[in-house]
Amino acid sequence: MTLSPAARFLLVLAVLTAAALLLPFVANRGLVFLAGVVAINVVLGMAFNLLFSTAGLLSFGQATFSATGAYAVALLLLRLPDIPFLLALALAAAAGALAAVVIGFVALRRTEGVYFAVLTLAFAELVHVVIAKTSFFGRNDGLTGIPRPRLGPIDLAQGQAYYVFVIVVTALLIACLWWVTHSRLGRSFRAVRLDPMRAAFLGIDVRRRQLEAFAISGACAATAGGLMGPLTSIVSPDLAHWGESTKPILFTLLGGAGHFWGPLVGAVVFSAVEYGTRSLAGASDLITGGLLLAVVLAIPGGLLGLAALLVARLRPNRAGNQPSPPAIPVASTAEGAAR
Amino acid sequence: MIADLPSLLFNALVWGMATFLVAAGLTMIFGILHVLNFSHGGFFMIGAYVAHSLTNWSAAMANIWGFLAASVLAGAVIGLVGLVVDRAVFRRLAHVDGAYVLVATYALLLVCNGFVKLVWGLNVVSASPPPELFEVSFIGNLVLPHYSLFVVVAGVVVFLALEWLINMTSVGRLIQAIAIDPWMARLLGVNVGLIYSATVIIGFALAGLAGGLLVANQSLSPDLAGIFIIQAFGVVIVGGMGSIRGAFLAAILLGLVDSFGTALLPQMPGVLFFVALAAILLVRPRGLIASGRLS
Repeated sequence: MTLSPAARFLLVLAVLTAAALLLPFVANRGLVFLAGVVAINVVLGMAFNLLFSTAGLLSFGQATFSATGAYAVALLLLRLPDIPFLLALALAAAAGALAAVVIGFVALRRTEGVYFAVLTLAFAELVHVVIAKTSFFGRNDGLTGIPRPRLGPIDLAQGQAYYVFVIVVTALLIACLWWVTHSRLGRSFRAVRLDPMRAAFLGIDVRRRQLEAFAISGACAATAGGLMGPLTSIVSPDLAHWGESTKPILFTLLGGAGHFWGPLVGAVVFSAVEYGTRSLAGASDLITGGLLLAVVLAIPGGLLGLAALLVARLRPNRAGNQPSPPAIPVASTAEGAAR
Repeated sequence: MIADLPSLLFNALVWGMATFLVAAGLTMIFGILHVLNFSHGGFFMIGAYVAHSLTNWSAAMANIWGFLAASVLAGAVIGLVGLVVDRAVFRRLAHVDGAYVLVATYALLLVCNGFVKLVWGLNVVSASPPPELFEVSFIGNLVLPHYSLFVVVAGVVVFLALEWLINMTSVGRLIQAIAIDPWMARLLGVNVGLIYSATVIIGFALAGLAGGLLVANQSLSPDLAGIFIIQAFGVVIVGGMGSIRGAFLAAILLGLVDSFGTALLPQMPGVLFFVALAAILLVRPRGLIASGRLS
C-alpha cells in the first residue's frame, strides 16, 4: 500500500495528536504539563529546521521569536483582558514575523560561514538585554499571573482544556510548516540552499526567499511561544536567553535535520533525558551534549536517520522504498571550501 | 557623566584585556582549523574551577605565586584536554559542514557544563584574589584595584608572548604558513597534523590559563562559560577571525564601547556591545584586520 506524502503526513500527525490528547487519561498532571511544553518545543524545533534544512540558514537567535510571541500574548492578556485569545495569538505571530523581517533584513546581508549565526546570536542577546532591563517587560522578574483565557464559550482554565488547546494549535502549526516545506515556496527555499547562484540565474530572488523563510519561521516560533505564557502563567527574560536559541538546534540535529519529524523525536528524547536525570545536576547536560556530539560525528542523519538506516538494513528487499538518507550538506561555506 | 574619563578608560582596558585573554586561544584555533569553538568558554570555565581548587588546596598557595602557579597548571591541564579533544573531535570534523562544526563545539560546551555541575555543583563560588592583589591604589579620583591592574598586565604579557611565538619562532612561522596555505605547506614537507595538534593544545592551554588568571574577576558558577564566550566571539569576529593582533585591538575597542555604553545607558548595560558588534560586522564583515591569516 502506498500513500501520497501528504496522506502519510496527515496519518502520522493524526496518530500523534490522538496519542497526545489521550495522555491526560493515563499520566499525572506533571507529565501532562511537560507534554504541553514538549509540544511547543516541537514547533520551535520545526520552525528552526525550516530555516536550517530547507532554506540553509543556521539561525542562533530563534529565542528572539519565541520570546516575542510569549511576551506579546502575555502583555495582551494582562493589559486587555477582553481580547479574544485567537486574536492575541495572531498578533503574536505578526509580531514574530515582524521581528524576523527586521533582524533578517540586517543579518541576511552576511549569510556566508558563521557570520549569520553570530549576527543572529548578537541580535538575540540584544533583545534579551532589552527585555531584562525594561520595566514595560517586567525586567528580570518577567511578567507573572498570566491567566488562561476563555475561547468563546470554553473556559481554558478548566481541567485539561488548555492542554488540549495547546495540542490542537501545535498540530495546526506543524501542518502549516509541512505545507510550506512541501509547497512551491519550500522548493524554492531548497533551491536557494543548494545553489544560491544557480537559483538566482533561474529567476529566484535569493534574499527575498531567505527573508520569507525567516519570517515564516519567526511567525510559527512566536505563535508557539505565545502558547507558553498561559501554560506556565509566567514569562521571563530567560525565554530570550541564547541558551533557549540553542534548544531548537539541539532537537533538530538530535532527531535528524533531514527529516520533517526530526525535531519532534529530538524534543521528546531531550525532554525524556532531562526528566530522567532531573535529580542529578549536570547529568542531562552531559548526556545531551554527548548524544549531540555522537550525532554530529557518527550519525549525521540523527536518530531518525539511524532508524531509517536500520530499517533499510533489516529489509534489504524493500530498500528502494525507504526514504533516502538525509542529505548531509557538504562543505559549502567559505571556511569549508578553504580547507 | 563623562567627567570621569580616566576611570572609564581604565574599565575599558580591564574589560578588553580580560576578554582578550579568553579570545586569544579562540582566534588562534580559528586561524588554523577554521573552527569557531563554542566550547572554548567551557574549557575556560573548567580552567577557572581547576585553578580555584588548586589555590584552596593548601595555605601555601594563598599568595600571588601560588595564584600564578595554579593558573599555569590549569593551563597545562586544559592543554592536555585539548590534545584529547583534537584527536577525538576536531580531527573528525575536517570535512563536515561549518554549521555542523559549530553545533559540535556547542555539544562540547554542554559536556563541559555538565562536567562542572557534576564535579563542583550548581552553587555560585566566590573567589578572591591573592592578598597581594587585594589592595587598591588611587591616582587622583581614579580607583585602581591591584587585581584589575594585574588583569591588564596579564593581557598585555599574553599578547606579547603570542606575538613572539607567532612571529619569532620556527613553530610560529610554520603555524602562519599553514594558516595561509595548508596544502602547499604539506607539499613542502611540513607535518601539518602535528602543527594542527600544537595549535589546538596552545589554544586550549590559553583558555585554561585565562580561567585561572580571571578566576577572581567574577564569581564561579556554571553560567560562566556562556557569559564570556559571547564577548570573546564578538572580539574574535570584530578583530578578524584568526588574527591575534586584531583580537587585541578589537578587545580594547569593544571594551571602550562597553565602558562608555554602560556610562551613557546605565539602565541597559551591554546593549551597545551588541549594537557595535552588528554594526562593525555589517561594515567590515571580515573584521578590523582582514587578512584572514594568523598575524
